[in-house]
Amino acid sequence: MSLRSPLGRVLGHGSAREGVHHWWHLRTSSAALVVLGVWFAFAVLTLPDLGHKTVTTWISRPVTAVMLLLFVTVATWHSALGVQVVVEDYVRGKGARVLTLVVVRFLHVLVGVAAAFAVLRLALGG
Amino acid sequence: MAEFRLPDNSRYKDVPGRRFKASPGATRVRTFRIYRWDPDAGEKPRIDSYQVDLDRCGPMVLDALIKIKNEVDASLTFRRSCREGICGSCAMNIDGVNMLACTTAIEDVKGEVRIFPLPHMPVIKDLVPDLSNFYAQYASVKPWLQTRTPAPPDRERLQSPTDQEMIDRPSACILCACCSTSCPSYWWNGDRYLGPAALLAAYRWIVDTRDEATGERLDELEDPFRLYRCHTIMNCTEACPKDLNPARAIADIKKMMAERQY
Amino acid sequence: MPSYSFTDHSYDVVVVGAGGSGLRATMGLAEAGLSTACVSKVFPTRSHTVAAQGGISAALGNMGEDDWRFHFYDTIKGSDWLGDQDAIEFMCKEAPSAVLELEHFGVPFSRTEDGRIYQRPFGGMTTHYGKGIAQRTCAAADRTGHAMLHTLYQQSLKHSANFFIEFFAIDLIMEDGACRGVVALDMATGTLHRFRAHVTILATGGYGRAYFSCTSAHTCTGDGGGMVLRAGLPLQDMEFVQFHPTGIYGAGCLITEGVRGEGGILRNSTGERFMERYAPNAKDLASRDVVSRSMTIEIREGRGVGPGRDHIHLHLEHLGAEVIQKRLPGIAETARIFAGVDVTREPIPVLPTVHYNMGGIPCNVNGEVVTRRGDDVNAVVPGLMAVGEAACVSVHGANRLGSNSLLDLVVFGRAAAQHCARRVEPGTRHRPLPKDAGEIAVERLDRYRNAEGSRPTAELRLEMQRIMQNDAAVFRTGETLQEGCDKLGTTFERLADVRVSDRSLVFNTDLVETLEFENLLLQAAATIHSARNRTESRGAHAREDYPDRDDGSWLKHTLAWVSPAGEVRFDYRPVALGTLTDEVESIPPKARTY
Repeated sequence: MSLRSPLGRVLGHGSAREGVHHWWHLRTSSAALVVLGVWFAFAVLTLPDLGHKTVTTWISRPVTAVMLLLFVTVATWHSALGVQVVVEDYVRGKGARVLTLVVVRFLHVLVGVAAAFAVLRLALGG
Repeated sequence: MAEFRLPDNSRYKDVPGRRFKASPGATRVRTFRIYRWDPDAGEKPRIDSYQVDLDRCGPMVLDALIKIKNEVDASLTFRRSCREGICGSCAMNIDGVNMLACTTAIEDVKGEVRIFPLPHMPVIKDLVPDLSNFYAQYASVKPWLQTRTPAPPDRERLQSPTDQEMIDRPSACILCACCSTSCPSYWWNGDRYLGPAALLAAYRWIVDTRDEATGERLDELEDPFRLYRCHTIMNCTEACPKDLNPARAIADIKKMMAERQY
Repeated sequence: MPSYSFTDHSYDVVVVGAGGSGLRATMGLAEAGLSTACVSKVFPTRSHTVAAQGGISAALGNMGEDDWRFHFYDTIKGSDWLGDQDAIEFMCKEAPSAVLELEHFGVPFSRTEDGRIYQRPFGGMTTHYGKGIAQRTCAAADRTGHAMLHTLYQQSLKHSANFFIEFFAIDLIMEDGACRGVVALDMATGTLHRFRAHVTILATGGYGRAYFSCTSAHTCTGDGGGMVLRAGLPLQDMEFVQFHPTGIYGAGCLITEGVRGEGGILRNSTGERFMERYAPNAKDLASRDVVSRSMTIEIREGRGVGPGRDHIHLHLEHLGAEVIQKRLPGIAETARIFAGVDVTREPIPVLPTVHYNMGGIPCNVNGEVVTRRGDDVNAVVPGLMAVGEAACVSVHGANRLGSNSLLDLVVFGRAAAQHCARRVEPGTRHRPLPKDAGEIAVERLDRYRNAEGSRPTAELRLEMQRIMQNDAAVFRTGETLQEGCDKLGTTFERLADVRVSDRSLVFNTDLVETLEFENLLLQAAATIHSARNRTESRGAHAREDYPDRDDGSWLKHTLAWVSPAGEVRFDYRPVALGTLTDEVESIPPKARTY
């Protein structure tokens, strides 16, 4: 049991002076995802078929590639921010919390870069 | 990960608690199942059942608790004072919802009346939670008027009725803790998230046109935990026995944060 | 007796109680740099000041002409000339600055269109010495007490005052007739604490719970009065118990006088606005004792409403939903919850209900406790002060005017702090306490903790409350009062046979309620015996066998000492009819009509 005063505990290390960006980015990215998601669903549904050839051709078109790159970037960014909140909410212990945050962030970068690479490779005809 | 398994002394005893029957001849009997825990006894918590004759009892849950304490079991422990919903002492979890026992009619509860202390707070005894952390969070938002302009020597600081209206409701909070202890985010991170009650108090001063520390107040709140643990679950507004809207106040604070940044 | 150990604390000043007056004193002391402890049995914002609704009086003149001298006159007339005019002068003159100070602290007062503090009419408040109706009561909607108490707690936080919360004060530490501090029980841990202080300020509130039906909180048990009586000191004017005209029938919850201030009207079963008959000028805004008596007469003469014809209707439907929502939102809520009434459409069933104790611990304008020693009628008790409802300065005399109570709290809370700041040098060394300091408290605590009698505290308390309710009511006669005194004597005997079931020390509310009950019982005895003793009618004390005021014999304060066995001894102090300064002329006693 800590003998520190309750107020001392609550004041802790003080305010981080951070949070509004996170909050704002989470909201703006979700707004962007609505637009991008609608575009993606519409585009996929209007493809004549989902064969390998059709899809790769579709992706290699410049407009599609740019939109897909945006979609992948915003989605991983949004997911990274969202999962961070979940981790902060539920993971106990300072060490475990920081470690999980780092791992989750790395995984998001990995997934994001890999997806972007895949799109670029198809778009640039690798 | 989050602890979903309760510590040992937070789990009920396997054996049923004590039972107290209503006097024979009672016609309108209601059973109250009440959480009991005495730290001196060295036992796990238990649930005692008391049958109460509603014909010989006042209409509110607090009336029943007092009747039980007066006539059946004087060791039953709970806080109470004003009995008219303004002091905020008798906040407890009744039938799964945080309420004031004094303004909750027994008739409004269906079936057995299950009474527990406010959720997720350390228990001192029976229905009495330890609110030190809650009070410290309130104090941490500096809930007092901060100004640099000296007060006029011979009259009040002027405030228009419209400006007064902005603080009228938020300042009516009774610090009962029903809202904070109904918030899952507060359950998980009550040590770092200030909770709806403290944030409503902060809001009350942020929007007070007489206050001149709005910026500093916002600075102090801008923190992933203090403010942004609010995930708009809205349990706070649902729980408030005074019909206040802490969720709205928190949303407004977040909006102000964004406004001064973008 | 098992051994109990003390945790010792030393402060310049210790304040017992954290209601309006206790907090005002505490913050003033902290601000003045005196080391201060505030000991309270409940968290400060749970204190009963929080339930005050209507407002706080001050002749600000924001909503029409006003002058503190009018307020002075009204308060004296309201007190039925039992109030000390020097103290009343002090209070009324200080009122505007005290209220403006509250506003500067941040109290969220309702506002006029030009941004000033909103003021409403209240009972007995007039202009030009009774000629017009004054709008003098500053309000924060209908939760002024709440607004004030929270603000004062916030100010105490700002000044980093030391609070000992959920500490129950058991007894004073007395040495050679002086107060050296107080013994308290930390309810959460069951440990005993001895607070040594140069000054102990009692701000423990009233003892409304001596009655069966009252607007007071369960915690209004007058613990300061009990401690003072056990210390061998007297209480003053205890026969004067105010019945608020509008307590909700049945539940007893308060409906503010502000309802009538905003235009609410009392009607009997014939629909008549009967107050026009009893008080042709002030009507529903006559002072509380007058309205309560009128209501009681209406009910007695068969014009009460309801199936039992045993209460009165308070109408505010005609005010309109908008005014009710803006000015009286809390009343609408309380009436809905406790009377099942929609005030925009139906009247509220009300009944005169015990509300306030004009009597209490006798003290002077500085808050110093006084007693009578021989011919010295103003003998100060060193080291002991009292403020708020616990005290009897006396500014309320035989009947308090509505909204003068919140004023009393801040004016005298502040005066007490200022007096200490003048008298006590911060950090003055303490003499050691006497060896047996606190033993009386421990003995009581241990006796009750292990009380194995046959009568639970609740049973004895109910017995006392019924006696007081029946025999010391709005109207009293020598016969009922004598009967009440005798019955209360039996309750005192039964106290030896009390049973406490909870033996633990952690948050033992059974034990605390028993200690509170003893405090109530002592003050109930002081009340009913003083009422039997005073053979006249004045203010809230209405004797049917002595219906007139008798200034020849009774223009004096009663002092009552109560022994542990409940025997009561009397003496008297003169009423101060002179004023403090020559800024106002004293008001000689005259007939009192509204």
